[in-house]
Amino acid sequence: MKILVIEDDRTVGGFVKRGLEEQRFNVELVEDGKVGLERASRGRYDVIVLDLRLPGMAGVEILRTLRDRGVTTPVLVLTAQDAVESKVRALRTGADDYVTKPFAFEELLARVEALGRRPQDIVAPLIETADLVVDTGRHEVRRGEQTIDLTPKEYAVLEYLARNAGRVLSRTLITEYAWDYHFDPGTNIVDVVINRLRKKLESGSNTKLIHTVRGVGYVLKEQ
Amino acid sequence: MQTIRGRVAVWYALALGSTIIVFGSIVYAFERRGSLAELDNLLELEATLIAAILREASGTRPELVLRDPESARPVLAPDVAVLLDGAPGYLAVLGDEGDLYLSQVARTRRFTTVMGSPDSVNSGFATLPLASGALRQYAVHVTDAGPYIRTVVVAAPMARFALRPERLLSSMALTAPFVILASWFIGYFLVGRTLKPVDRIVDEVEAISDGRSLHRRLATSYEGGELARLSMTLNQMLGRLERSFVMLRRFTADASHELKTPLTVLRTGIEQSITHPKVPRDVMATLEEMLLEVNRMTEMMDSLLMLARADEGRAPLHLEELDFRELLSELSETGSILAEHSSVDVRVAVPAEPIALQADRGRVRQLVMNLLTNAVKYTLPGGQVAVSCEVEDGTLILRVRDTGIGIAAGDLPHIYDRFWRADPARSRTSARPGAGLGLAISKWIAEAHGGSIDVQSRPGKGTTFTVRLPLALEDGVQNGQDDVS
Repeated sequence: MKILVIEDDRTVGGFVKRGLEEQRFNVELVEDGKVGLERASRGRYDVIVLDLRLPGMAGVEILRTLRDRGVTTPVLVLTAQDAVESKVRALRTGADDYVTKPFAFEELLARVEALGRRPQDIVAPLIETADLVVDTGRHEVRRGEQTIDLTPKEYAVLEYLARNAGRVLSRTLITEYAWDYHFDPGTNIVDVVINRLRKKLESGSNTKLIHTVRGVGYVLKEQ
Repeated sequence: MQTIRGRVAVWYALALGSTIIVFGSIVYAFERRGSLAELDNLLELEATLIAAILREASGTRPELVLRDPESARPVLAPDVAVLLDGAPGYLAVLGDEGDLYLSQVARTRRFTTVMGSPDSVNSGFATLPLASGALRQYAVHVTDAGPYIRTVVVAAPMARFALRPERLLSSMALTAPFVILASWFIGYFLVGRTLKPVDRIVDEVEAISDGRSLHRRLATSYEGGELARLSMTLNQMLGRLERSFVMLRRFTADASHELKTPLTVLRTGIEQSITHPKVPRDVMATLEEMLLEVNRMTEMMDSLLMLARADEGRAPLHLEELDFRELLSELSETGSILAEHSSVDVRVAVPAEPIALQADRGRVRQLVMNLLTNAVKYTLPGGQVAVSCEVEDGTLILRVRDTGIGIAAGDLPHIYDRFWRADPARSRTSARPGAGLGLAISKWIAEAHGGSIDVQSRPGKGTTFTVRLPLALEDGVQNGQDDVS
C-alpha cells in the first residue's frame, strides 16, 4: 500500500513515516504544501495523510484543490485543533477521517488501514500466536480447540497484545488503547485485566503466552 | 421602594404635597384677613348708618328715648326702633350710664351677658371670644342724637364671615390626597417613560451574555445626551471586551497548536522508541514514565483549553443519539477491574431499559469515568462504591455513591473550582494526584448538556454525586448546545 504523508514538522513526519514503514507500507514524506499537492494530484496513492497547518498552502486548500481536480484518494487529516468545527470543516471539504494531535500511533495506523482497505480486503484478519487465535472480525478468541469467553476490555487488551505480538507494550499504551482515558498515576488497572486474561488463557497445561516486563508492561509471545 | 422609579414618584408626591400645604396656608391666611376686613367694613358701615338714623330721628322729634311702661326701663322709641329692625347681627344702642336703650330682642340677654356692663364699651373694633364662637363688634359714640344716646354697638359672629376661608381650607384638605395620589401616579408614569431607554439598555446588555454575542452593540439613537453617552460608553467597553476575547480566542487556538505539535513529536517519539525491540528494559521504563507524563500534560491541556472555550461560551459539544446503558455496561466492567485493583466493592447497576440521550458521547463518558475513578480513589479498601441511575420526568438521574472519606462541609463549595484540591493528605493514592480539573470539567459537561451536578457528603461516611441529564426528546430536538461556531 502506498501512502503519501504531507506534514511540515520534520520530526512528526519522520515518526509517522518510520512507523508506517515498519508496518510494511510504502511511504513518501513531503514537507511543503504545494509540493504535496502536486505529488498527490499526479501520483497514485492508496491513502494521503495530510496535516492541516502547512507552510505554503493550508491543508484545507490542498484538500479542496485535490477534490476539485477529481482526485478521490482517501485523505486522513492530522489536526491540532480538537474543536469540532475544524474537524467538521475538514470532513465537509472532502477529508475521509481525522486524527487529533497528539495522537497514539496505533490510532493513526488503524485509521490509515481502514481507509486504504479495498473492498476485497475487508475480510478481517485472524491473528495467530502459537495456538492462540484472535478473530478480529467476530471478536472471538480460541486457544487450540477451546473458545474463550472474554469481556470487552479483556478482548481489547488481548487483541492489542496479539497485533503487536513479540513487542513489549507499556501499561500506558495498553490503557490508552483499551480505555482512551487517563487514569490517575498508580492506577494500574491493566495488571488486573492481564491477571484475568492469564487465568482464562493459561489455565491447565497451556504454555504461558503473556509475559511481564517489569516496570514497563507486557508482551505476548511463545515460550 | 428600591427602584429609582418608585423613589422619584414618592419625591414627586411629597413635593407636590408640601406645595399644596404652603400654597393653601398662604391663600387661607389672605382669605381670612380679607373676610375680616370685609366684616369690619360692614360693621362700621352699619354703625355709621344707625348713628345717622338716630341723629336724623333726634332732629325730628323731641323724645328719642322713652320709659317703657311695663318694666320702667328706658327704651328707644318704638317707631324709631322699627327703623333699625333691618340691621344685621347684633345691635345695641347705649345710653350715658350704660343704659341699654335697644337691643334686638332675642339677643338682648346674651349681649348683656357678654358685654358685662354696657358702660365699659370703648369705641372702635373688638373681638369677643365667646363659647359659641368669636364675635366681632364695632362701637361708635354718638354725640348729637339727643341727650341720652351715647353709643351704638354693632356686632356679628365671626364664624359667618370666616366661613369662606374655612370652606376653602376643608375643600383643599379633601382634594389634596387625591391630587397627591394622582401626582404619584403621574410621577411613576413619567419616570417610567424617562427610564425606558435605560431599561432597554439593560435588556440589550443582558442579551450580550457570552463570547458569542460580544460583537453586538447598543443602539445609540436615544434622544437626550446622557443616555446616548451611556450607550456609547458601554459600547466602548464592549469593544474592549470583545478585543480581549478575540485575543483570548486566538491565544487558545495558537496555544492548542503550538503546544500540541511538540507534544505530538514527544509522543510519537516515545511511542516508537518504547515499542522498538532493541530498547533496553531500564530505558523502556523511563520512556514509559515519560509517556505517562506526556499523556497527563495532554489531558491537562485539553481540559484547560476546553474550560477556556467554555468560558467564552463556545466550547462545542458533538451531540449524537446514544444509549446511556452502553456507557454504563462499559463502566460496569471498568468498575469491577478498579474494584479488584483497589479492594473496593464497586457495583454498577445497568438498567434493563435503554436510556436515550442526545449527548456528546466522549464527554459524557469522561464525566462518568471521572466520578467513578474519584469515588474509588477516595474510598478506603473494604469500602463500597455504587453507581445507579433512574429516569424521572424526562431526566436521567445518575448517582455515584461511595463510603469513602467524604468531603468537609467547608470544602464543598470549592470542589468544582479549577486546580482546587483539599488537603493534599487526602489523596492516599500518590504524591501526584490528578490535576484538580476533573470536577470542574465534569460540572461543565453536565451543565453544557442542560443538566446539573450535585454533591452530598459527610466526612468519614461517604460522598454521593448526583448528575441530572435531560433525556433525548422524542422528535430528536435537544436544547443543548450543538454550536460549532
